Amino acid sequence: MFEGLIQFGHSLVSFLDPLSIGLILLSSLVGVIIGALPGLTATMGVALMTTLTIKMPSNQALLVLICTYVGAIYGGSRSAILLNIPGTPASAASCLDGHALAKQGQAGRAMGIATSGSVLGTLIGMFFLALFTPVLGDLALKFGAYEFFWLALFGVIIAGTLTGDDPLKGWLAGLIGILSATVGQEAIYAYDRFSFGNRDLAGGFNLVPALVGAFGFAELLMAVRERPVPVKINPFDSVIPKLRDVTQYWRTILRSGVIGTFIGILPGVGEDVAAWSSYAAAKRVSKEKEKFGKGSIDGLMAAETGDNACVPGAVIPVLTLAIPGSAPAAVLMAAMLIHGVRPGPMIMIEAPTFVYDVVAMMLFATLGILLYGLTLTNLLIKVLMVPKPVILPIIFVLCVVGSFAISSRLFDVYVMLGFGVLGYVLRRAGYPVAPLVLGMVLGDLMEKGLRRGLVLSDGDLTPFFTRPISAVLWITIVLVILFKLPLARKLFRRRPVASAN
Amino acid sequence: MSDPASPAWPASPRADFIGALILFVFGTVVAAMSWQMDRFEQQGATLHTAPGLWPGIIGLMIVALAALLAWRSVRRARAAHWNAAVPDDTVLVPRRDFWLAVALFFFYAAGLVGRGLPFWLGTAAFVAGFVFLFQRAAGRPTNARAIVFSIVCGVLTAVIVTLAFEQLFYVRLP
Repeated sequence: MFEGLIQFGHSLVSFLDPLSIGLILLSSLVGVIIGALPGLTATMGVALMTTLTIKMPSNQALLVLICTYVGAIYGGSRSAILLNIPGTPASAASCLDGHALAKQGQAGRAMGIATSGSVLGTLIGMFFLALFTPVLGDLALKFGAYEFFWLALFGVIIAGTLTGDDPLKGWLAGLIGILSATVGQEAIYAYDRFSFGNRDLAGGFNLVPALVGAFGFAELLMAVRERPVPVKINPFDSVIPKLRDVTQYWRTILRSGVIGTFIGILPGVGEDVAAWSSYAAAKRVSKEKEKFGKGSIDGLMAAETGDNACVPGAVIPVLTLAIPGSAPAAVLMAAMLIHGVRPGPMIMIEAPTFVYDVVAMMLFATLGILLYGLTLTNLLIKVLMVPKPVILPIIFVLCVVGSFAISSRLFDVYVMLGFGVLGYVLRRAGYPVAPLVLGMVLGDLMEKGLRRGLVLSDGDLTPFFTRPISAVLWITIVLVILFKLPLARKLFRRRPVASAN
Repeated sequence: MSDPASPAWPASPRADFIGALILFVFGTVVAAMSWQMDRFEQQGATLHTAPGLWPGIIGLMIVALAALLAWRSVRRARAAHWNAAVPDDTVLVPRRDFWLAVALFFFYAAGLVGRGLPFWLGTAAFVAGFVFLFQRAAGRPTNARAIVFSIVCGVLTAVIVTLAFEQLFYVRLP
């Protein structure tokens, strides 16, 4: 334990140079602005910043990405409270009570609650990140090809089940993502799959341009489709959080922090589910249930604590299992790979100090959002006032340049365009995009797990089902799928008393 | 997967059915192409190391889920009607403006960038053009001030992006 604290101390000190502090301040601000602007999400922000930081040393690049990630999840609360439009999907739950408070002339208080909830949520998640990562890392060493296959599949299935309204469409989106990962040369015989003789396609899709397309360009197309609404912001009170709001709701903060972290650990689920789950849990135990949706401090605190606690939570499986806990964490994982960091079970052996570096980055990101939460309200309001026709082309230029920057190929720009159109069409048809991203990121791991496992067992499928961890995973997958099928639900559903009578 | 009677359906049964058909055909094509991939049997390979195994499985899974989606959309259509969906209260821009924006995005990314025109010039022209056209679409006056504003936005974006990427982050531009 003390060894961990000492390493954490070393990591903190390593970021106390002027350049790192400047990067923390800048990237937290960029994150908060991206989060606050409706239509721009944390995933898009992290993907764009990945392309921008490609030439930086790995620790500085990841510091920028984590600050952007934390900042964007926090920034979403600003537009949720002031405009009743969630800046990111993670802030949708904050609209309910945050905007209700704003309508009562307490927007400043609501923003203070969002700041305190987000800061404390990130700190709780950070604590669990430091605590669980070494433990999970040890457990992950027991994982073989069979377990990784099921775990990756579990991630896509869970993301498909929980991130949209329709699990069937979520699973289909996940499968499309997995399929896109098979394009190009496969690992054993270097055989070109689905490349149609095209040399660029034979190299496969570069992950970052595909992610920038699926999240960035697709979101731009969705934003272009909607008519801009005139922004009107009423005068508000002080944004400095009140100590009483924190002390009175300490149970909510702790509970939401734990729920948010746990949901973050679940592969592919993400901050929006964390916020809604924390909100629902707070409502269930609250003595003031009737206030929920009408300006409840408890509700807003729960949503904001839950979504920000999810950020460090989502990084735990990235570090220990190389399985992202959310869509932005998937981009973060891709960035780690680009920068030569190999997340996964070996990380506690190969680079044990890196885990504490990530914890320190989270702490600095938390300080960044605290600083901007207390000081930059007026600037954020000015950003919210910038007309959409000005912001959209600038973001698109960044999508194009960012996609090109990864390997200086125009092909990557076309990949971004293609995945953007795919993401847009899927969204319009009611398919969630998060499972698509998870499928793209985890498809390769899944295939390697399956083929390695089959080679090891000489084609025998039994170990996939009989090894203890594998058994737990596949049974969970089957149960998740079964409980989402109407036929199975009918079987398990208790017959209502009235109809029985 | 919700019941057919569920009130929360973002897409109509018709849209779902068409989507399911497209995915069914797509999955079938993927499975067929996977089956035709080289199996390297002359090199002693077995079925479980064949390159087409994994995409073939995924293709078949897409076919199965697409069939399920098609079956569900037919049931939903019988329970309500083919166009039943939750009304979308989003206020949309006219279709012409949307397609104009899409055309501008594609013209910039596939036509202007990396085709010999200096990056800053192409970017300035794209941003200025986009801002001007969509300010007009938003009902704002198209006077000299609007033109100057659009040009300033374009030039500023081009200069800042070029300097930031090339000088600050040492990233090559198209």
